[in-house]
Amino acid sequence: MPLDTSAYSLALLRVDGRRWNELRRIHAQIRTQAAADGSSYLEMGHTKVMCVVNGPSEPGPRRGATSGGGGGGGQSKNAEVAVNIVIAGFSSVDRKRRGRGDKHILELQSTISQALAASLHTHLFPHSTINISLHVLSQDGSLLAALINAATLACVDAGIPMTDYVAACTAGSTSTYAANDEGADPLLDMNHQEEQELPGLTVATLGDSDRVAVLVCESRVQVSRLEGMLAVGVDGCKQVREILDRVVREKGIKMIQEGTVERGVGLNDMELD
Amino acid sequence: MASTQHVLLSPAELAYLHASLSLTPPIRPDGRSPTQFRPLVAETGILPGTNGSARICFADGTEAIVGVKAEVERTRTRHDFPSLDESAEDDDDLDDNQNEVIKGDNDWVEMTVEIPGYRDDDAGTVFLSAMLSEALLADGEFTKRLWINQRFHWKLYLDILLISPPLSYPLPLLSLTTHLALLAARLPRLKSEGDEDPLFDDDWAAAPYLYPRPSEKGSKATAPAPAAARPPVTLLVMAVGNNIIFDPSKEELAVADVALAVSVGESSSSTTSTTSSKPTAMDIDTEETKGHNLRLLSVRTIDPPSRLTPPGIPNASNSAYGANAGAKDAEKKKQQQEQARTAESEAVEGVWKAPRGGAKTLVMATMVQKVLEKGGVADEVLDALDGVDLN
Repeated sequence: MPLDTSAYSLALLRVDGRRWNELRRIHAQIRTQAAADGSSYLEMGHTKVMCVVNGPSEPGPRRGATSGGGGGGGQSKNAEVAVNIVIAGFSSVDRKRRGRGDKHILELQSTISQALAASLHTHLFPHSTINISLHVLSQDGSLLAALINAATLACVDAGIPMTDYVAACTAGSTSTYAANDEGADPLLDMNHQEEQELPGLTVATLGDSDRVAVLVCESRVQVSRLEGMLAVGVDGCKQVREILDRVVREKGIKMIQEGTVERGVGLNDMELD
Repeated sequence: MASTQHVLLSPAELAYLHASLSLTPPIRPDGRSPTQFRPLVAETGILPGTNGSARICFADGTEAIVGVKAEVERTRTRHDFPSLDESAEDDDDLDDNQNEVIKGDNDWVEMTVEIPGYRDDDAGTVFLSAMLSEALLADGEFTKRLWINQRFHWKLYLDILLISPPLSYPLPLLSLTTHLALLAARLPRLKSEGDEDPLFDDDWAAAPYLYPRPSEKGSKATAPAPAAARPPVTLLVMAVGNNIIFDPSKEELAVADVALAVSVGESSSSTTSTTSSKPTAMDIDTEETKGHNLRLLSVRTIDPPSRLTPPGIPNASNSAYGANAGAKDAEKKKQQQEQARTAESEAVEGVWKAPRGGAKTLVMATMVQKVLEKGGVADEVLDALDGVDLN
């Protein structure tokens, strides 16, 4: 389904009616699952992801395909971040089943594992494993970004010390690689249709800073456009971080009000309304 | 896999649990009555991208999501020779009374179970999906719903995801979630007629449910009366001594003498089952009831995890408690070994010993009967599931 780029130049509106710098609706919840140490549910547009974190715990017998990308095995000084992604068969429009050995999934797993291992304080938990299992319920573009955001939220919920949020977002460009269009606009937060047609990249930054934690680009893009795309992506990550932070704060306030947790000493400046 | 999961309980704790569960009435660790279920949270229609979806959270924190997706598929033209198969011929004769031959095929349903941390070809996962699909396909009525015309049919994909780590044996959770997802599943309304290429109505609001509601007036009158009014439910039942306990928790399952997975379906009041051609399914029809007309679809024994628990050592043969303290020479050692052997085979009051051997026939029969009886557990579960808002 080709994206009508000529229509974009007329009204500067994308297929779903957004401007170039607008995010889709992001809705997130944390602590959705009582049995796990940490859990989250995240929607970015129609992309819906669930994350369950268990650990840090003693590494059990190794089962299945877990990618131990971040930090070494169970005997190392740092905790291992094991990521397991399940893409549900019903998640895309046409049912497509992916096995566990799928190369695309393995790459997603190791990307997320490495990104989180760099942000989490894994040195505090030697000889242990942090199990992150991600379930993709519905896909509509920006899958890696949604997975990273959901994993970050679940790690926050699990109370694993980390330097800052790892917030991710995608960015693209309004014209294809072949079209030698000088006035191509960068686009923020691509949906599935745009991802199919246009060059795009996924970027994740660490907290409020401009430090890039993840940068994945799987399509051909002209170098001149890359800088603009990256700038828009990093800017989008800051917006995403605000949203994630708000979700965590709202849940925290709610838990204090309900008396689930005691009001800590550092929370006096937090507004409870 | 999950049924043989390790529960970190000492032999003494297991013995205590076993003793309290074999009292009459049994005392369960969470104070429930033997037939009482734990509360659960259920919702349907959570994923607009599927034909039907459901999510259930059990009280112990386990959570599952099921999505049903249907695709139109061309039916393979089969060159059946009716004389080859007696039962197939019988079916044909039955259906010839109607003007169309509606036939289903078990290949039209594909079920996958995903459990985090387990491979999809893990024996336990395969066994779970086999048990769930067996119950669904047992009476051969379900696949008939997927028939479009002579040339086309729906292919139904059931994807079952366990979101939480498998804390207890997930069979009842997955079964109930699948049940709700199938109840919520809708297929687009067929606009074309006869054997032409199928054309469907765009209006999702007009799409009929896979399992028509009795309250629905329009679609029910036109649809041919379905034989099973709702999908099957598989319940986990366990027995300790002569006590039958429903919805066992992980700890209770760890001391079970027998564990059974009982699949129960509901047939509409008029049809009494004649499709007993399946050797795997035992068909026992219960009497007509006011509530649900229940039908047993399949029974499977589950290997209870209690068989792998370590046995306790009675004080009499425990050297730490002064047994055989004076044993010095070889003769006494030999005596000691013999004593140990008898201790292993004989049950000592208050000392845990993993159950051995099969279940008593009487206990098995009671378990199945308790599920099926009027106003029994299956009735209650189906009534409770009726309360879930389907949209």
